[in-house]
Amino acid sequence: MKMTPAIVIIGSIMAFWASMSVMVIMPAITLKVEPSEIWRPMTAEEQEGYRLYVRNGCSYCHSQFIRVMDWDLGAERIAQAGDYVDRGPDLMGSKRTGPDLSQEGGEHPDDWHLAHFTNPRNTSPISVMPSFAFLGADSIRKLTAFVQFEGMLMADQRVERQRHWKEAALQTYGKDLDSHVQWLHAMVPEVWRPMPNPYPALEADLARGRKIYQQFCIGCHGPVGDGRGQAAGFLNPMPLNFTVLRRHLVDNRYIGGLLYYQIMNGITGTAMPYFKKSLESEKIWDVANYLAVSFIGYSDANIEPTGIDASYEPRWQNRFQAPDGQGLSDERDSVGR
Amino acid sequence: MLTPAQKTNSAALAFLAAGSIWLLVGTLYGLVSAIQLVAPEFFNNIAWLMFGRSRPVHVNTVIYGFVINMLIGCGLYYMPALLKCRLWSETMAWWSFVLWNLAVISGPVSFAYGYSQGREYAEYIWSADLAITGAVVLLAINSVMTILNRKENFLYVAVWYFVATFLWTGFSYPLGNVIWHPSTGAMTGLLDSIILWFYAHNLPGLVLTPLATGAAYYVIPRVARTPLYSHTLSVIGFWTLVAFYTHIGGHHIIQAPIPSWMRNIAVVHSMVMAVPVFTVLANLWLTMRGAGGRVLADPAGRFVVAGSIWYLITSIQGSAQSMPELQRVTHLNNWTIGHSHIAVLGFVGFIALGCMWHVLPLIVRRRIYAPRLINMQFGLLTTGLTGFFVVLTAAGLIEGHGWYNGETVYRTLAEMPTYMGLRAAFGMSIIAAAVVGLYNFCMTVWRGEPFTPEYVVEPEEDL
Ligand code: HEC
Ligand code: HEC
Ligand code: HEM
Ligand code: HEM
Repeated sequence: MKMTPAIVIIGSIMAFWASMSVMVIMPAITLKVEPSEIWRPMTAEEQEGYRLYVRNGCSYCHSQFIRVMDWDLGAERIAQAGDYVDRGPDLMGSKRTGPDLSQEGGEHPDDWHLAHFTNPRNTSPISVMPSFAFLGADSIRKLTAFVQFEGMLMADQRVERQRHWKEAALQTYGKDLDSHVQWLHAMVPEVWRPMPNPYPALEADLARGRKIYQQFCIGCHGPVGDGRGQAAGFLNPMPLNFTVLRRHLVDNRYIGGLLYYQIMNGITGTAMPYFKKSLESEKIWDVANYLAVSFIGYSDANIEPTGIDASYEPRWQNRFQAPDGQGLSDERDSVGR
Repeated sequence: MLTPAQKTNSAALAFLAAGSIWLLVGTLYGLVSAIQLVAPEFFNNIAWLMFGRSRPVHVNTVIYGFVINMLIGCGLYYMPALLKCRLWSETMAWWSFVLWNLAVISGPVSFAYGYSQGREYAEYIWSADLAITGAVVLLAINSVMTILNRKENFLYVAVWYFVATFLWTGFSYPLGNVIWHPSTGAMTGLLDSIILWFYAHNLPGLVLTPLATGAAYYVIPRVARTPLYSHTLSVIGFWTLVAFYTHIGGHHIIQAPIPSWMRNIAVVHSMVMAVPVFTVLANLWLTMRGAGGRVLADPAGRFVVAGSIWYLITSIQGSAQSMPELQRVTHLNNWTIGHSHIAVLGFVGFIALGCMWHVLPLIVRRRIYAPRLINMQFGLLTTGLTGFFVVLTAAGLIEGHGWYNGETVYRTLAEMPTYMGLRAAFGMSIIAAAVVGLYNFCMTVWRGEPFTPEYVVEPEEDL
């Protein structure tokens, strides 16, 4: 084939246009997408938040669509074409340094986002997300409005749920801490309450629990478990001071099941997130044991009722002494070591 | 005295110089981004260096600033050389230079203050989009007119690629940047993603690849001192490139809810991309047969050959990761970042540097100040990039398999610091290469030993 100027110049333009008409013009004409059942338009404030999202490069770390094989945040709904109607640009994203955000709305209450945007290490100690304090309070409010919109009508239900439980929590929290903790525990289903941690508190378990605590919890509950982590100032209610739980053992014996349930499920309405997606069974029992031993000073690990012992656990004798109803105990060093 | 715009090849030299400078600036921004992925509070609350702003500066500066500038500079030299004439309008080439680089400067300036259109590879603000479109149109006119006023009847393959790049990009860039919506630079809904990735794949496919292929087609026969192996392979490679590459943008979003026919087209064409890739590589390598030692002994030739090997790796990886089965694991994580770096730096960057070192002495009529520094740059780049590829691919597999098995992003985040630390370290090697290159470039222009280039026959084909 002789490549004359005419062939090169006109030919390459024609080849390009041929492809473009298939890959751009055809979809532009045929793609008629109806809004999906969860779709709603953005409010003006959410729109402004979205502009900030676009302009500050959130999309280099966060995607906006959930795939069939996803398990993480938002995996309750696979993305559909109708979810993106009217969104421009639609920024699907090509990298997940952080989780997908397309169903972020209502995952957390607003105070969590304030702490998180101000400095993500507040709530998420190993995060590599940049701090956005430099944007100022007004922009952080708009960004929060946008992320609470993510998931649209599905998110609205979750946001409403957060609001409902925040109100409920603040009612008792406003009175005094003990009645608040009583209320918190009353909300935990009965079957979880008179339940000990079924696994021993061996050194190895506690070391694993400690690692998890440092990766996930320390920003809120603080290095000594007193609830004064670096996020505390942003949050209402404040993170729980675990020592208080000495006064709130169930039947003056049990705390393991309660801790497990609260860590797994989170406390909707407060900043306490659920950890069910990130931590599975053994890890939750381990961190619960770590909390109990290190900050409550008492663990119900492996006490009655027990079933058939798990095959792999070594023999272990729980020597902890339960504090009295006031949270006091005779032996200060009750660790039994 | 001649004004710069009257001096032959002065615009080409300007493009080459800008490319060398942007290489350093762009990689420094890469380092700033890389540091934040291991030490997020290193630049805490320094707005203009924040990851979400420094990353697009990095990406756009290395792509538009470094590789494209450098390859245009090369082309503005080799196109007239091959056609045995002068560039149609040196002044017009200077205008393209100014417009193009104003757009590149707008990156660090506007993104730093949060003025960005936010769509990957289409971030530049509207006025910069206009500048780039203008530059491309001017380059298209200039190339076409040079061809029409040529003294040599025969059009060598490098010229096809060079002129076609601008003919394609003149449409592709304004379309992909939705230039008729100045405020957002975007369509709405899924159509926006479809158009974005159509364009964002035309950027590597119809800008970087043809420019780099053209440059390789120029350098290799000259260094090997043999005619090109096959005209037929050149023709097949050229036409299949534009036919297939333009269909594969959808492989970036096959997991998103796009129509399934688009998905199928994207996957199938990604596989048949083997045709343009292998015809070009076969053609280049067969041209070198018997002259391999000569090519590899030449510092510039070595760069180009290495670039062609990176092209092979990139393309095999690219076709593989277009398969939905594999992409379940590789999508959305550092695996893709590894691919981007071997593609844009390994394939395109290596060839750009090789061609630049080859034509620079011909343009300034001075010998390279220190050929050993070219070899040193080669070593530093190869070390850094190989490290990048290994580290990022490993990190990507950890993330991808973790997610596929039900781990959350937060859990795999805990695995990343080692890899992100190593990547920042290997990045230093790439930055050192940029410094060495810039130094060698300046010294060649100012201090290189003057000489009259011996006449090396311009490449031709066996018909
Ligand atoms: C360097 C990458 C990076 C950038 C840029 C980034 N993020 Fe993140 N983001 C992360 C990571 C990593 C996490 C997970 C850890 C955490 O919770 O901080 C995260 C978490 C989040 C979460 C919480 C998700 C959850 O667990 O419920 C939200 C909301 C969020 N980011 C919003 C944003 C917004 C809005 C922006 C832009 C203003 C942004 N991010 C920019 C990396 C990033
Ligand atoms: C973003 C802040 C935050 C993080 C991170 C966090 N918590 Fe909490 N947590 C809270 C807050 C706030 C409360 C108290 C809610 C209230 O008082 O209503 C709480 C309460 C709890 C409780 C409830 C105790 C009870 O008796 O009901 C447990 C247990 C707990 N956190 C454990 C953890 C563990 C374990 C982790 C880490 C895996 C963790 N938290 C991470 C904020 C946080
Ligand atoms: C000339 C050399 C380089 C080129 C051509 C180049 C090219 C690119 C490209 C195209 C991307 C976008 C990747 C994607 O979205 O898939 C990217 C991202 C990135 N590059 Fe480079 N790069 C170069 C050098 C460097 C160096 C030296 C460093 C670090 C020291 C670096 C660090 C990064 C980082 C941190 C990202 C962001 C990755 C992420 O989002 O996780 N790059 N680069
Ligand atoms: C046969 C050739 C190629 C094929 C089939 C191919 C395929 C792919 C695929 C499937 C992706 C998306 C990965 C993902 O997100 O999961 C991708 C990304 C990418 N490719 Fe290639 N590739 C090829 C060659 C090239 C070349 C030659 C270049 C550069 C000149 C290049 C540059 C890029 C870049 C920069 C990205 C990152 C895009 C992003 O930000 O997500 N590719 N490629």
